[in-house]
Amino acid sequence: MLEDVIRTTFVEFGARLRAFAPNLIAMVVLLLAGLLLAGAVRLSLAFLLPRLGIDRLAERAGLAEVARKGGLARTPSQVIALVLAWAVLTAFVLFAVAALDLQVAMGLVTRAFTWLPQLLVALALLLVGGLVAGFVRRSVLIAAVNAGLPSARLLASATHAALVVLFSAMALEQVGLGQGVILVAFALFFGGVVLALALAFGLAGKDLARESLERLLRRREPEDEDGLKHL
Amino acid sequence: MKEFPLDPGVAERLRALGTVDLLVGIPSYNNASTIGHVVKAAAGGVAKYFPGRRVVIVNSDGGSKDGTPDVVAEAELGAPSAILVSHPIEPVHKITTPYHGIPGKGSALRTIFAIAERLQARACAVVDSDVRSVAPSWMELLLGPVLSHGMDFVAPLYLRHKFDGTITNSIVYPLTRALYGKEVRQPIGGEFGFSGRLASHYLAQPVWESNVARFGIDIWMTTTALADGFRVCQSFLGAKIHDPKDPGADLAEMLVQVVSSVFDLMETYEDRWKTIEGAGEVPLFGFPHGVGLEPVNVNVGRMLGIFRQGVRDLGEIWAHALDEPTRREVAALATIETEGSFRFPDPLWVRLVHDFALAYRRRAINRDQLLRSLVPLYLGRTASFVLDNDTSDAVEVEAAIRALADEFVRQKPRLRERWGS
Repeated sequence: MLEDVIRTTFVEFGARLRAFAPNLIAMVVLLLAGLLLAGAVRLSLAFLLPRLGIDRLAERAGLAEVARKGGLARTPSQVIALVLAWAVLTAFVLFAVAALDLQVAMGLVTRAFTWLPQLLVALALLLVGGLVAGFVRRSVLIAAVNAGLPSARLLASATHAALVVLFSAMALEQVGLGQGVILVAFALFFGGVVLALALAFGLAGKDLARESLERLLRRREPEDEDGLKHL
Repeated sequence: MKEFPLDPGVAERLRALGTVDLLVGIPSYNNASTIGHVVKAAAGGVAKYFPGRRVVIVNSDGGSKDGTPDVVAEAELGAPSAILVSHPIEPVHKITTPYHGIPGKGSALRTIFAIAERLQARACAVVDSDVRSVAPSWMELLLGPVLSHGMDFVAPLYLRHKFDGTITNSIVYPLTRALYGKEVRQPIGGEFGFSGRLASHYLAQPVWESNVARFGIDIWMTTTALADGFRVCQSFLGAKIHDPKDPGADLAEMLVQVVSSVFDLMETYEDRWKTIEGAGEVPLFGFPHGVGLEPVNVNVGRMLGIFRQGVRDLGEIWAHALDEPTRREVAALATIETEGSFRFPDPLWVRLVHDFALAYRRRAINRDQLLRSLVPLYLGRTASFVLDNDTSDAVEVEAAIRALADEFVRQKPRLRERWGS
């Protein structure tokens, strides 16, 4: 009797394994295919994109500069190639999981594909945010230098940081990660900065505030003025 | 070609007028306080120097809210003795018309060109509506070379304070001279004379939806006349005094507008300027003379401060236009501590202007940002010019400006080679 049970168990397990084997093999094949395809995508984009002028475009838009400052040693073409390669691999991982045909796995795959559009929008927000922040940073830097403001670099960096934080918060909100936390942290950060500035000027540094405002509002003294007509 | 549309009332008046010999155009926008004098000077000038000619004064107005067109309509010359003539003076026809298109002097002049073409005017002049020093003799000097000497384009030559017009003196004049091979000392003067033939040529160009219409019309008129082979001359008009512009007017904005116009025209006319070698004189009309000019206050310290800050903070942006050796040379200038010793060499400045033109062409970065980043370098150069010529007289200063212009000519092969095709 015991022998029968054990034999039946093994037979049934073998049958289940035989029935499941194609799914397992399909999963492995899909994973391997994904790896190969991702590698091919990365190599071909790393070759093509520089020749299409992507690196020059990114340089012109200021993105490359921002990336270098952020410690990214790779060129924009290399980054795009890497990101797309990972996207291809991720897709094949999902296909591979779907090939297992397990209810839990199918649920995960379905949720992943539902979440994908929001992820794409979030990535677009980060990209646009990076472009905008880089452009605005450059504009602020040039304008501040032309106006003779001594803290031009600080002003430009602060503007850049504020925009990056803003777009990052929007991106995180888009993918639904810690929405409440992000919102509160954002509000606290900016509210805190504004409150600190108000307190500093209003209470602790009211004399300095008065002098700064007077300097800002009054016309330049005659000895500061140029009588030059440049045209 | 489709006829330029004019207001029905204006078109009717033009039909009634038929043809004219001379046209004086005055673009305006809220210039009620000054335009009356300009109209009287124009009317007096044509009456004195061109008796018997059919003349029209055209005011092309941008929608003034201060009654400018009414001032134009009411402006009368007065007694002939005011202009020292004894012959009867015929009334001058006056037309005030609104202009259409992009707001700016270019659109105003386009309307004037169209009217000149309709009336088949032989010689035309344009005078800014805020010029206080305009005199009747300016009409002879702007219209005479066209009517009697076969010229197509008359550029103004003013007497200016040695430190005035530094954008013109350090960039526009020497670069235009080197590119198009003609000595036009003030290519963006504001007052011009031109033939009816040239007015039609201007009108036919496809530029009226561009920055030419907004702010680049003056340099565009000069460059087009030079590059398209029209006969160009200069007339000495004396001092130019006009209403003070807004003292808060932004230098960066001014520099961007002027330099972008010059650089845009380099792209338009690259086939032309690449073939030109050297620079020659153009005929000069009028009688150059000295005029007393008010002293000008210059804050060299502030200029040098902005230059040094530019060297410190804008290196990453200048790297898009300037190579490493040039940036090192500029950085070395910023280390000069004694203000009196600061000098920005001509060869370095010329190389820098050319490299910015090249970077502008290949759109290395946003063009507006590129040109705004030129401001500290321009201020450094201007400070050097002021320090170098502090005790110089007008003749010595003019010689220094001509030396810079010659340097632009000398370095033109380098520009040509790097510009490529």
